[in-house]
Order: sequence, then C-alpha cells, then structure tokens
Amino acid sequence: MLSIKKYIILTALALITWAACKKDLDINPTDRISTASIESDTVLLEAYITNRYIGARLQDKEGDGTDPGFGRGFEYALWSSLTDESMYTNDDATWLIQRGQLSPENTGIAGVLWARSYRSIRECNYALHVLNTIDISARHKTQLQGELQFIRAFRYHDLIRNYGKVVLLGDTVYDLSDDLQDPALFDRKPIADGINYVVQQLTEAAEKLPLDNSGDWVQGRATKGAALALKSRILLYAASPLYDAGTWEDAVEAAQEVIALNKYSLYTGGYANLFLINDNPETIFARYYTKNANHVHLEIANGPNGYGGWGGNTPLQNLVDAYQMVNGMAPFNADGSVNSASGYDAANPYANRDPRFAATILYNGATYRGRQVETFTPGGKDSGDGTDNWNTSKTGYYLRKFINEDYPLQNPWGNAGFQPWNYFRYAEILLNFAEAANEAYGPDVVPPNATMSARQALNLIRSRPGVDMPEVPMGRSQTQFREDVRYERRIELAFEEHRFYDVRRWKIAEQTENVPAYGITITKSGDHLTYAQKEALSGRLFLEKHYWLPIPRTEILSSNNTLEQNPGY
Amino acid sequence: MALATAYALITQDVQAAVFSANAEKEQTEEKQQAPVVGTVVDENGTPLPGVSVRGKGGQGGGTTDAQGKFSLQLPSTEVTLIISYVGYLTQEVPIVRNQVMQVRLQPDAQALNEVVVVGYGTQKKATITGSISEVKGADVVKSPQPNVSNSLAGRISGVIINNRSGEPGYDGSSITIRGQATTGSNDVLVVVDGVPGQIGGLERLDPNDIESISVLKDASAAIYGNRAANGVILVTTKRGKKGKPTINYTGNQGFSSPTRLPKMADAATYATLMNEIAYDANPNGGMNQTYTEEQIQKFRDGSDPLLYPNTDWAAVTLKNTALQSQHNLSVSGGSEDVQYFLSTGMINQDGIYKDGATKYKQYNFRSNVDAQINSRLKIGLSLSGRQENRKYPIASAGDIFRSIYRAKPIVSAYFPNGLPTTGIENANPAVMVTDMAGTVDNPKQVFNGILRGSYKIPGVEGLSVDGFLAIDKSNTFQKTFSVPYLLYSYDASSDTYNSVIVGGNNNAATLTESHTNESLITSNVKLNFERDFGLHHLNAFVGYEQSKSHLEYFDAQRFNYLSTLLPELSQGGSAATDYLNSGYSTNYNRQSIISRVAYTYDDKYIFEGQLRVDGSSIFPEGNRFGYFPSVSAGWRISKEKWFKEKVTFFDDLKLRASYGTLGNDNVDGFQYFDNYVLVGNGFVALIDDNPVIQPNVNLVKLANPDITWEVSKKLDVGINAAFLKHFTLEAIYFQQKRSDILATRNASLPGSSGIVNPWETDQTVPLVPSENIGKVNNQGFEGSLSYQKSGNFSWGLSGNFTYAKSKIIFIDEASGTLDYQRQTGRPLNTYLLYNTIGLFRSEADLEQYPHVTGAQVGDLIYEDYNQDGQITADDQVRTPYGNIPQITYGFSFNASYKNIDLSLLFAGQAQVSQYVLPESGTVGNFYSSWADNRFNIVNNPDGTYPRVSERASSAISGGLYNNTFWLNNSSFLRLKNVELGYTIPKSFLDHLKLASVRIYANAFNLFTITKVKDYDPEGSSGSGQFYPQQRIINIGASIKF
Repeated sequence: MLSIKKYIILTALALITWAACKKDLDINPTDRISTASIESDTVLLEAYITNRYIGARLQDKEGDGTDPGFGRGFEYALWSSLTDESMYTNDDATWLIQRGQLSPENTGIAGVLWARSYRSIRECNYALHVLNTIDISARHKTQLQGELQFIRAFRYHDLIRNYGKVVLLGDTVYDLSDDLQDPALFDRKPIADGINYVVQQLTEAAEKLPLDNSGDWVQGRATKGAALALKSRILLYAASPLYDAGTWEDAVEAAQEVIALNKYSLYTGGYANLFLINDNPETIFARYYTKNANHVHLEIANGPNGYGGWGGNTPLQNLVDAYQMVNGMAPFNADGSVNSASGYDAANPYANRDPRFAATILYNGATYRGRQVETFTPGGKDSGDGTDNWNTSKTGYYLRKFINEDYPLQNPWGNAGFQPWNYFRYAEILLNFAEAANEAYGPDVVPPNATMSARQALNLIRSRPGVDMPEVPMGRSQTQFREDVRYERRIELAFEEHRFYDVRRWKIAEQTENVPAYGITITKSGDHLTYAQKEALSGRLFLEKHYWLPIPRTEILSSNNTLEQNPGY
Repeated sequence: MALATAYALITQDVQAAVFSANAEKEQTEEKQQAPVVGTVVDENGTPLPGVSVRGKGGQGGGTTDAQGKFSLQLPSTEVTLIISYVGYLTQEVPIVRNQVMQVRLQPDAQALNEVVVVGYGTQKKATITGSISEVKGADVVKSPQPNVSNSLAGRISGVIINNRSGEPGYDGSSITIRGQATTGSNDVLVVVDGVPGQIGGLERLDPNDIESISVLKDASAAIYGNRAANGVILVTTKRGKKGKPTINYTGNQGFSSPTRLPKMADAATYATLMNEIAYDANPNGGMNQTYTEEQIQKFRDGSDPLLYPNTDWAAVTLKNTALQSQHNLSVSGGSEDVQYFLSTGMINQDGIYKDGATKYKQYNFRSNVDAQINSRLKIGLSLSGRQENRKYPIASAGDIFRSIYRAKPIVSAYFPNGLPTTGIENANPAVMVTDMAGTVDNPKQVFNGILRGSYKIPGVEGLSVDGFLAIDKSNTFQKTFSVPYLLYSYDASSDTYNSVIVGGNNNAATLTESHTNESLITSNVKLNFERDFGLHHLNAFVGYEQSKSHLEYFDAQRFNYLSTLLPELSQGGSAATDYLNSGYSTNYNRQSIISRVAYTYDDKYIFEGQLRVDGSSIFPEGNRFGYFPSVSAGWRISKEKWFKEKVTFFDDLKLRASYGTLGNDNVDGFQYFDNYVLVGNGFVALIDDNPVIQPNVNLVKLANPDITWEVSKKLDVGINAAFLKHFTLEAIYFQQKRSDILATRNASLPGSSGIVNPWETDQTVPLVPSENIGKVNNQGFEGSLSYQKSGNFSWGLSGNFTYAKSKIIFIDEASGTLDYQRQTGRPLNTYLLYNTIGLFRSEADLEQYPHVTGAQVGDLIYEDYNQDGQITADDQVRTPYGNIPQITYGFSFNASYKNIDLSLLFAGQAQVSQYVLPESGTVGNFYSSWADNRFNIVNNPDGTYPRVSERASSAISGGLYNNTFWLNNSSFLRLKNVELGYTIPKSFLDHLKLASVRIYANAFNLFTITKVKDYDPEGSSGSGQFYPQQRIINIGASIKF
C-alpha cells in the first residue's frame, strides 16, 4: 500500500508543480513595447512620430548606415545617376534605367518608392488616429498632427512625381485582418486629385506647425516653412506641362508664401561649403546625420581610383558642357559648336567656368587632397592606368559636390557620412518663384503681393557670394528666360534630385535623356593635353513611357491585375 | 520504464552444444594433466579464429588459432570453460579432458533482442512500429569529420544531409528529414540523453562519446509534441558496463583540403576580357582599348612581375592542406552497483589559410555514472562540459572567399619587394586571412548536467517512477580586436610605394566584446508500468515535463585605442562617442504532459498509442496548449504459425503503420501583439548645431493574436523483413500533410495597404507576423536493403534510398500570379527563371528571336515562353527542382578478413539544382570555365558561354534576367567515407600489456562525381563565395588497455 501512497503523493506533487508553473507561460518581453504603451505614453508616441521622417529599407544597397528618408538621398548610387548629370560606375541597377530597359519587373533602384511611401503613409495615419485619443496638450497635439500631415504629404509628393496617378487613402489604416483586395487600394486617382489632396494637407500643416524650431521642437523636425516649401514644389510641378494640373499663378503664390516668411536667406559662405555644414540659413528642411547614424561614406564611394575611391557617381560631359563661362555666356551653341564669343578654350576647357563647376565636379587638374587629379592617359593616377583601374571613372570626372575633404577617404568606416541632405533650401524656392513668375507674368514683372520679379529672384542666386555670376539682364523674353531658369536649376541644384523630375515635368526628357552619356578622354603627350569626347555609357535611351516610372510588377500582381499600370509598360 | 530498460544488461540464455563421443565417461584422477583441446566453430560449422577460451575459475586461458583450435593447460580444479567471441553468445561448457572438444557458438540473439532508443524510452527493434533508424557510435567515428552532423550523411534512409561550408567551427551540415515539408522552419529537434533541445546540440559532441543516434521520422516523434514535426534526432551517450575497467584511447591525425575550388582566369585572359568589355561598349575603339597586346603579353610571360603580375589568388591565400587532430581517452567499467563511463577529448582544426588566424580547438569531457542504491532505487549522474575555442581573422570566411574570387589576376598579392598590395579595394585576401587586421576570439563553453533516478515502486510489480533534472548552460564570448594595418600601392611614375591604412576604425584599433549566456532547465517526472501477463506485454507511462530557457546578451564597443597592445575595454579612447553598448534578454518556457501505452501479444501483435499535451510561451493564452496524439500498430507475420510453416524464405517479417499529429512552433515569440522597438540610429536632430540621435520608436511587427503552432499529420506504412539469413529489408511509404504553416505574407500584400516588409537581412524581421496559413503535402518512399555475411571473411553491403517530394497546397502568392509561375502545386524552393535556349551568335539571330532591350550578339537567348513576341517577366518559368534534393541515397560496403577491415560509404543526391552566378566582370574575376568559353565575336566566336560584361549581376545574360544557364544540376555521388583498419594480432600485444590495438586510415569526401564544374555541389551560396567543403584524409589508432 506504500506504493499507492507514493503514487498519490507523486501525482499530487506533479499537479502542484503544474499549477504553480502554469503562469510560467506568461512572459513579458523586456526588449519591445506593446501597442498599449504607444497608445498611452505620449513620450513613446512622440518618439514614434519623429521616426516617421525615416522610411523602411526595402532594397539591397540602400540605407547604408541609416534607413532611407524621403526620395533617395545619399546612397551609393545617387538619383542623379539616372539623369544626364552622372552615371554610376558600378552599375548597381542604374544602367538599365539609363538604357531604357526600365520595366515593371526590372525597376532597378527606382522600384521602392511605391511601397516605402505607402508604408510611411499608413504609419502616419495610425499615429494620427492615436493622437485623437491620447491625452496631450492641445497645442502640442496640433503640432504633431501638422507634422504627420506634412510627412504624409511628402510621401504622396514622392509618389505623384514618380508615378503620376496614385492611390489616395485618406486616414484609413489597413490592418492584416482587413480585406487587402479592397478595390480602394487599387484605385489610382487623377493627378489633379493627388495634387489637391497634398496641397490641402500642406495648407493645414503649415497652419499647425511652428514657424521656428526650439527646445521642444528640435531642428530637423518640420516647420511651417517646410510645409510651405513642399507646397511650392508640388504646385510648381502641378503647373508644369507633364502634370497640367495647376496654374503658374498658384505656384508663384506658394513660393511667395515661403519668401514672405522672411526667415530664410542664401548662404554666403561659398557654394561648396553650403553642402557640408549643418546650421545654414538657407536650409528649410533637411535630414541630419551623425556618428552611428551616418549615410554612405561619400568620399570613398565617389572618390577617384588613384585615391583608393570607388569612382561611384561620375559626372557626365553632358553636365560639364552646360556650365557657363564666368562671363555668363554658354561655351557651346545650341548646335554643339563652340561659342567662340564665350572665350571657351577647347585646349583648356575647365578654365573660367561658372564657379559652381569646380565646386560640383572634380576634373583633371583640379586640386583634391593635396594633389592634382589625373584622369589623363597614359599614366594618370586617377585614370585606367592608375591603381584599382576597375574603379576609374568612365566619364573622366568625379563628384565634388557634397564631398568633404576633412573626412577620411581611405578606411572611413564610421568616420564619414555626416553631411546633411537638404530636402528644401531657399535657393530652390527662389528658382520655383522665378520659373512660375516668368511663366505667369514674364521675367520682369513683380507678381501681385510679391517683392521681386522672376529675374530678380534668379539673380539673387547668380550673385550669391562665391558664385558671382553676371546677372541675367532686363529684357529677356519669356522663352529666353525659361532657358535661363532651366540653366540655373540644372547648375544650382545639380545632384540634388531635381534634374530627373525637371526634365520630365518640362517634357524635355525625350531630348535631354536621348543624348548619349558622354565622357572625356584626355591624352597627355609631354605637357600637352588633348581632349576628346567619348561615349561613357553605351545605349542611353528614353522613351515616352519613361516619363513616369512603371508600377512594380509585384504591385500589379498583388492587385490581381486591377491596379492600372502606367502607359507603355 | 525506459531508464530501467536502458540500464539493464541484457541477460542472455546460455546455450551449450558440446559434442563429445564420451561425454559420460568418468574422469579418474591422473597424475599428468592432459591439455584441454578443442575446436570452436560457428553456427555453420566454420572454425572461428581468435575466440577467447578460459577457465571459469580464472586459472588460465587463451584464444583459438586460425583453424579455430585451442589447447590449454588447465588445473583439474577447472571444470568449466568460458568461451566468448564478439557477435556470438558467450558459452559455458563443462571441460571434457582427453577428448577433442567441439564447441559450436550461436550467433548473439541480440540482433533480435536489440533495443533501439525511442522517445522517452527504448524498444525492442523487433517490435518497433515507427520509422526509426539508428546509427551506432561505432559508425559515426569512422568519419574523420569532427563535426558529428557530417558523419551521418548517407548512413540513414530518409535523412538528408547537406554540408554547406567547411570552415572550422562552422562546418556543420543542414539536416532535413524526408526533405522539406514546410515553408517555415525545417529544423530538426535534437534530443541528447533525453533532454529536448539540449544546449550545445548535436554537432559538437565528441563522436567517441556517442553510443547511438536514433532518428524518429514518422508519427513516433509525436511524443515530442509541438517541436516534432520536422523529425527528431535522439543521441544517447555511452554508459559504463559491469566489468573490469577498459581504457580506450583513440588518436587521429587528419589532413584536410578543399574538395574543389573554381579555377579562375589568369591575368592575360582577364586583360583580354577587359578589352572585350570595352569593345562591346564601343566597337569603334577596337579590341585594345584597355590593354595593348604588348601588355597582355607581359601578363602572359611574367617578364614584369611588378607592373604585370599574374596572380592565382587561391594559391597565394590557401594552403594545400590543413592539419586537424582528434584525441579521446575514455575509461569505462563498473561493479554490480556502480558503473561509469569517463571520457575526455580534444579536437584541433586549422583553417586552410596560409598563415591564417583561423583555428578551432575543442576540449571536452563527459562523466556518466550510474549507481544502484538498493534493489529499487537507481540514480545516474551525467556531466559533460566542453570548451569550443574558435579563432578567426577579422574578415569573415564569406568576405575572404569573395575577395579571392573577386581579386584580379592582374594584381599581385605582394610586390616583388614583399610589401602587400591593396588587393581588391583594400581587401587583400592573402593578408585578410592572417591576424594582421586583428582577430576574432570566440570561445564557447557548454555544460550539460543531468541527474536522473528511477524507483521501482513496491507492492505493484512493474510499477516504477523515474525522472530527471537537466541543467544546460552555455556561454559564448566574442572578442573582436580590429587593428589598423598597412597595404601598399605602387606609383610607377615616381617609383614609390604608397601606404594605405586599412582596418581598425579611424586609423586606430577598435574592440568589440559580446557575451551570450544561455541556460535551459528541464525537469521531468514519469510514472511507468511495464509487465508481462503471460504472452501479453504492457508498457505504459504518463509524465510531466517542463523547461525554461533563458538567454542574456550584451555587447560593448570601444573605439580609438591609443595602442594596439591594449586589447581591453578599459583601454580605449575616452571621448563619449568612443563607447557603445547594447543588450537584450529572452525567455521561453514550455510545459508538457506526455504519455504512452504500448501493448504486444507474443511479440506478434503490437499496438501503441502516444499523447503529448504541449504548452509553449511562444503563443498567446488560449492558443498555448496543443494535443499531439499518435497511434501505431505492427504485425509480425513471421511469428504466425501458418506463415512459419509455409514460408521458410523469411526469417522475420513485419508489417507496420503509424499515424499521428505533430507540431512545429519554431518562430519568434511575442507575435501576438504589435511589437515596437527603440531604434538606435533613427531620426537625428540638430541641437545647438550638433547633430544628436533622438530616441525613436519603430513598429517592427504587426500582431497576429491568433498565432499557434503548425500542424503536421504523418502517415507511415512500412515493411521490415529479414530473409535468407543474411538479408534485411525495410521499405516505407510516407506521407505528410502540413497545415497551419507559420508563414509571413508578403507577395499578396499590396504596397498601398502600407503593410510592407523591410528588405530581408540578418538584422531585420518581417513586419508581418507569422500566420498559420501555409499548407504543404509531402510524400515519398524510402527503403534500405542490406546483406551481411559473417565468417572468416565477413562482409556486408547495404544501400538506402529516399525519394521525398513536396507539393505546395497553399503559399502566400500574389493574386495575379500567372499559373505557370505559381509555387502552388509545385515543390518547395524552386527557382523562377528564364529558360535559356542558346546564344545570339549573329545579328541574324537577334532578328530572329524576341529579345530584351539592349541584348547584343553574345547574349543568351531567352525562351518566349508565352509566345507573345517579347521577353518579359511573364516568360519566367518555375524550375522543377530546388536546392534540397528530392532523391538521396547511400550505400556502404564493409568487409573484414582476419585482422583487416574495410568500410566504404557512398552518398549521393539527385533531382536537385543550385543557381550560382559568380560575381564577375570588372567587379571580379571569372571562372576559367566562363573565361575560356565566353562568346566574343572577334576572339571567340564559337564560345558557349555568354559574352563577358561589366557586372554579371546586372548583365542581360546574368542577374538582370536570372536564367537557367546559371542553374546547375547539382546531383552528385561522392565517396563520403572510407576506412581501412588493421587490428594488431594479440600475440604481439601480450607483452605490451595492451588489450587491443587497431590502426586505421580513413577519408571524408574522397572523390565526387558530378556535372557541376566549378564548385562543390553541396554548396548553397548563389554567388559561389563560401568556405569550401573539405576533403579529409586521416590516420588514427585506437588502443585498449
């Protein structure tokens, strides 16, 4: 009977252990936060909201250091390498876009904007929804709402300028348990609807956001100026021929709203320096970087092979040739012949150019890190005859803009990649104003409620200390001045993700993007250099369908083919 | 009952068969003792040499000679002989003097009574109803591979083993049982000495400590509940046996080298290819835009090694052979009451790098002690500990091999003056493999302790209680000291060598230390009942088990070391930005009730039922507990009288079947609520002109409040037979239906919903939680047949074959997916590729076939699958196979004659594909197979490979349109293992006081037959950049004292 007793005792013990341990299966993790915390703790909610300035990394070779923000920003292959500004030596899915091989299944580096933008929009919508229920001061709640509306509008702007017609979701937050084949998810609205929604959101955001950054609204968070700047850009695009969904007058007014804040001014410490410093009167909205939250190490990624760089984004001859001479004259005529009146010397092609040339492009003979760049052959250190010749520039040029000589080029890991990325700077607003005012009123008319004419706005940029280009004179025709504005945008905003959208909205991409990608071959013979144009990247091609990006094939398939593809793809 | 059975020595009936003409003749006292003489024969009458014959009183003895004869001088007090021989039952025979005794030994009936380790117990092999295969430790040690997971390949039907890398310390194989059956985790549960998921796992066990490895392939694994769906591997370590101490030493010295390395293009070829790339881009520039013929000639003839070197990077980086050694010393024995097995071992493995930093060193011990406290209580204590010292250079093996294959043959590793070059973008593999850049020290300690007891409850015969408490602990430490070093480039114009500082951080040394501390506490108590009622045999238990697993991790980093001689965290730079740290901890708990009832009647009819109730903290309350029942039955036809009478052909014949429900819970925890985490490198604000990282929160996981385990329903029907004395056969049909597979949605989610998964890396988790949505069926056949002949020349042959094919019933796919591109209805892990149907050899070809924008002569022709006149994504098709083979097979041969023994093991796989596109172009070197056979309209118009281009990964004939050209049939047959041994004759050893000495030579991956040209067909890297599998040739000795 002893055994039965023992059996009973053991069973009882087992049951007690069982009961005692049952709560062992309830574990609270210590490294993650639950929804309940986000929805009740305002500090956590705000930390969630500020992180909406950052998007999700969706592709290889992006988000090196930190996740991407809006647009593309500082990555190995810059957005400029999809345009006539530069090419990316190491390809990395850029050449297929340059070569017109862009297709819904092969979107290269341009395939992530759809999903990334919508992910951010959903996150903003969720945060807006939480804001409605959380206990927080009314003033701060309004600011946060404005901030989220701004971020959401920025994402829509990224969608509209790449895809045209987009799906508008309002404040809906889709969840996994929802019907994800809901036709509303696949209903692309006309461009005008998208623009109107963005403009309306930005108008509200501008009212809600503070004018200035301060202790509890740190610099880097959007301000009224940021919302108005984005509104200026989207209305300028809307008025452009490709969009045809707005008026130049509205675009003028939107740019004037930013100018009228009287908060921003052009940086006067030199054009090259403008892109290296954080605190800048010209910055309207920027993304900042620092150690452990850095972007791509630009110096090694883009440096000449002779310095140990990888020659990444290399400017094309197409851009080089665009720079005016210091006298304000174009070195080439429209037919490509040398404009002898300009003083351009084919044997000394880099002399006496617009100062922004040397601040943007590293050319043979330019001084960089204590020596002259040598892209000539034979023997040039930064040519195919130099070390690591597979990294040599195919164009004969290297990137200078954004490059900081104080950062290490060799072995830079963790000690470079801190330049700010300016989403909006005042120069763009002046250029928006100049373009829209010219289109609406002509170059020399001061628009209603404005303080300057298109020409005056443009000349502010040309006469920036350190640039000091001759002013555009009075009396230019609207058409002539349009070219002046386009020149100025191309030069002033080079490599800042404008050219790609500008040539499209102006509908001139079929000309500019069907020009071969040119580079230069420099041959040294004794002390004599000869320059010969070459094709740096073969097969450059732009077709009408390329005005808009294709919607990725995965999106079409996940919609069961109900999501409308852009024409031509 | 399990434990009691395991511990019990099998008592054997003693059968004597003495043939003596005058057995009854009375013995009279004699002054002169005549020697005891006789012959020992086997069951067929064949004389047996080397049989031990001794007097029972311990007064003398010897062994039989080559004719099986013995002759012993024994005092008259000896009246009984003990005759023993391996594989035969020991006999006691009354001594018959003045006669030639004839002793016939009977084979050890253990073959029939042999027990196999099963979940929570052991079972007689004869009455097993599940699909359970077993490998003996004695076979495992035949492989010179120190990593146990590699020693199983080809030995067991149904177990698919692929060795993906040969790097010391990380050279384990991926193991799947009967192929892949789920889109989720396919990890097999490893149970060591009864502890499910024991920390330390299978791979690093000392093969000399292993008694047996059982693999539960069917519903018999259901006793492991929600972790059993992918099969269970049970490892049992050796225990002591009664008898005088046996001291055993084995020592091995091995020589390893890569099974194969791709042959790369040489400098002259590479320079020519660079010219061809330039020519393709700009045909007007001619064929020598990059290198002149004179330059290419210099590369070819080596006349200017400074400027025109010709480097074989693998040759300058890798050694021909690396050394490895293994030693093990064990003592085992015991008295009636206490038995012990004590073992210690060490492993030493070098990397194949020249002057390499890579080293693996292992020290391990094990102490298994069992004690019979009284007639009812028995306790056992198993302790084992292991130190795994891994040391590596700073660069990972992946980076090193990437650099070896990328580095240009036109760049030397060292300049003629001995200075190291910058290699490929400051990555010089010849330098990367050394400790010049610092080292990664990565020691790990594992401790496993198990205290177990069993008690026979008095009063009820056959009732007992047993249980164990197991404590596992591991500590993994990693210390990475990265120091700057110099590489050089040569400036021809000034004839100077310019140094570049590489490595470290900010031109100073940097130190990272991390520490992972894991523990697992498992406790188990079981009430058992086992008893015979006449011919009825009942064996049942019910038990409770729980486990708690805990992990703590932290790391710290320090930058800007003043000196490279101070590799301690306290010695780094003092700025605020010079410090970094992080850490986390996790907990997983489980609770289970386990039970089994097994009934057999006369060992003829066998029924078994199992049930496990399993709870896991991975799932939310309400979805935590699962029920995993299984049933099986067997019928030993050969035990039927009518069968025995009519069919003499069979010695044993059993039909069996099993069916059960198993689970899989191998997903991350806490997916039942939205997971937000703090981000360390998110939004940066400018505060007083200084950029400062802000505290940020990110949503990383959406909730799935309904998450629970995935379910596998397994059916098995098998036949086991032994026939014609020498043959054994097993044939099994199996079928598995996996449902509620834990998978994450991706393809079906429209981007506009905003539910978008991030780019998949080691650091990211999908935003979408695991959901119980997948469905996969898997079925197949496995069989094995063996023949064993014993005798003077004994030999055996056995083969096994497995065919396992999966079929996806539901997988997350976009609603608009084209039928012929769907994964649904097809096997798991297939590739979606363009079919290549040739090469554009002329402009006419380009005219004739549809092609993608930019295609040129020399590019691959893709099949216009949907015949719409253009090549689009719609033309991709699914490949029939993925990189998990549908067919695996193995066959082994063993033979022994006198003192010599030989065993061979072949392993093979078929119906398997591997895609490899090398990183070639201006970005990296080419495999010779491509370089020599590439198409070039001028230089090589008959080439069969596509034209070369800047980057294969974004070429039209490469990564831009992934295609079947780069898909290889990675079927192979390889001699996985061969061993030749020689046992030194006893006469030699007697005066050395050694019991036995066996010397042997063995080899691993000795040769391979495959169609894959450039890399080892077992690899799984899509770029071919991995530490290659090893061929090991080894010599060793095993000495018993």
